Amino acid sequence: MINLHWIILLPIIFGTVAKLIPLKIAKKTMIFFQAALLVAITLIFVEVRRNGTILENIGGWPDTIGITLRADLLASAMVLLTCLLFLAMIVFVQNKHYADHLFFLLFLSFESLIIAIFLSNDLFNIFVLIEAATLIITILIMYKKANVAIYDGMMYFLINVVAMSFFLMGVGMIYKKIGVLDFYALQTALNQINNPHSLILPYAFMITAISLKAALMPLFSWLPKAHGTPSAPSVVSAILSGLYVKTGVYLFLRLQITFSPIIDTSELFMVLGFITAIVGFLLAFAQKDIKLLLAYSTVSQIGLIMIGINMGSPHAYWGGLYHIMNHAVFKSTLFLTAGMIITEYNTRNLDEIKGVFHRMPAVGIATILSILGIVGAPLFNGSISKYLISTGSAGTWIEYGLIFINLGTIIIFVKYGQLLLGDGGKKETANSDILEKAVVLSLSMLCFFGGIFGSELIAILFEVSFTVELLSYGAKLLLFIGSLCLGLLIYYGLLKKKNVLAIFNSIELGFNEVCLSIALFFAFMVVYLKITL
Amino acid sequence: MVTINGESISILLFFVGVYGLIARQNIIKSIMSISIMQVAIILYFITTNIAPGSVPPIGDVAQTLQVADPLPQALMITDIVIGIGVTAAGLTMFIHLYHRYGSTNWQKVMKKRNRHD
Repeated sequence: MINLHWIILLPIIFGTVAKLIPLKIAKKTMIFFQAALLVAITLIFVEVRRNGTILENIGGWPDTIGITLRADLLASAMVLLTCLLFLAMIVFVQNKHYADHLFFLLFLSFESLIIAIFLSNDLFNIFVLIEAATLIITILIMYKKANVAIYDGMMYFLINVVAMSFFLMGVGMIYKKIGVLDFYALQTALNQINNPHSLILPYAFMITAISLKAALMPLFSWLPKAHGTPSAPSVVSAILSGLYVKTGVYLFLRLQITFSPIIDTSELFMVLGFITAIVGFLLAFAQKDIKLLLAYSTVSQIGLIMIGINMGSPHAYWGGLYHIMNHAVFKSTLFLTAGMIITEYNTRNLDEIKGVFHRMPAVGIATILSILGIVGAPLFNGSISKYLISTGSAGTWIEYGLIFINLGTIIIFVKYGQLLLGDGGKKETANSDILEKAVVLSLSMLCFFGGIFGSELIAILFEVSFTVELLSYGAKLLLFIGSLCLGLLIYYGLLKKKNVLAIFNSIELGFNEVCLSIALFFAFMVVYLKITL
Repeated sequence: MVTINGESISILLFFVGVYGLIARQNIIKSIMSISIMQVAIILYFITTNIAPGSVPPIGDVAQTLQVADPLPQALMITDIVIGIGVTAAGLTMFIHLYHRYGSTNWQKVMKKRNRHD
């Protein structure tokens, strides 16, 4: 087993060294490197699973003084997911023209940063990592140099820098009050605080930044532009939407656990998650651009995850975490297939793309499998996590809310599924890439296996066991068929002829408005905490 | 009564920066506002854990009784570097943006971007 810091350093080192090797050889070795990294991380995961959390103090300082890397079960499961997805992406870009040395250097550094964010245990460290990741993502989403790239990149960059300034201010205040920056030392110290009012400001500062990173309700407007921008290569969109936005959710989770002795805002964030989910699918439906539609659907799914992890019931919590994994798999598949469809049809407009099934059968199958995953069809991975979340919410208004959210997801993907049907005209051009198809097909097969072996996978990943009861799962099956029919009815009866939701398209927040919403969210958090504490 | 010290000044400066971000449509002024926020954060950090009369933690401090907390100062060296990087990257991107859209106003740039779409 190798040390944790090597896992973080190796991709950057390899990305740098690969610059010296000719591109063709470098690309091939990169696959082997990723596979080896995956093996190493699996070994670490097994170790964590057997012997509990691994702690590593960098520089040999005693606990809580230096920078600590901490691999607990959740962190190592997320790192495993990161490495798996990056392996898939690296295989995917083998024959792409934009994949040059610089791209690989940035892409592998990005991998390192994501892994480091998952493993890091120190607030300032996390700030530095996120700031570096912001810079790299900004370059990556402008990589294809489309016409609109510079505006999208600049918006993403400046908004995230503003948010991280809020975060750093909060870190400073915490350090002034408590004197430590380590998550777990902080939690111990917070247990002894008598006056929670002194922690309102630092908490509000930090949670504002984290909510922006996780794309919660008023603060998500940067996400679709960044994830769905035409200039972003589809692998970058897939990683951003599937994985990077989860770092926000992960940090949110960490922060909530740390502050749990004194500040409990889970109810507020459950409601915010609910609103995020609804606004997400309403906006997603209004889109014509397939990448933007997928990006807004990410917002909606993030809302669902937030509902799960803030509900307070163990079923919903683990369901939410499993949904993080599932969403990473099917959303990255959808983005990859969307990228392939865009290259084939040379348009991003949903209305102009017809007959993908006929024209690109492999892509069509991968798309349909991941759509079945995301709408929570029985036997697919989405159904397991959605089942767990709704089991946890039994008896509350959220249970009905979840049905409504899932209905919304179904309507979006009935609309998205339009591109599969119809006559595709000519057959696929001969230059299609076998590696790309293999990647999207195997990722979409993961959706299926994640559903069939759902409870086993949860037991392996998180060490908790849930039995999926056949009776209530059967009830969910009927519910799914019911909402599918209703979704089809609503789409074909109401929305297909006239897209009433298209008015949402005209609302676009500029930079000043986004900053205003950050400030308002911060003020709202302060007032809310003042009242409830 | 709010006393005038590093903490209150830095919080004030921070929100001056936030005001600039909300109220000014000029892109360069937005980048300047971010710099103001960063200066405020740096001021906040380096006034942490300093008793009056303490010396900076540089050089030989074995004989001194009161030394300022070195950690926030070390962190701020990192943050100054990050701040410079962010400002430089922001301004570089602004140059490209200006070449493409020919405006320094967020609203006008946004309108021109949507026409391209």
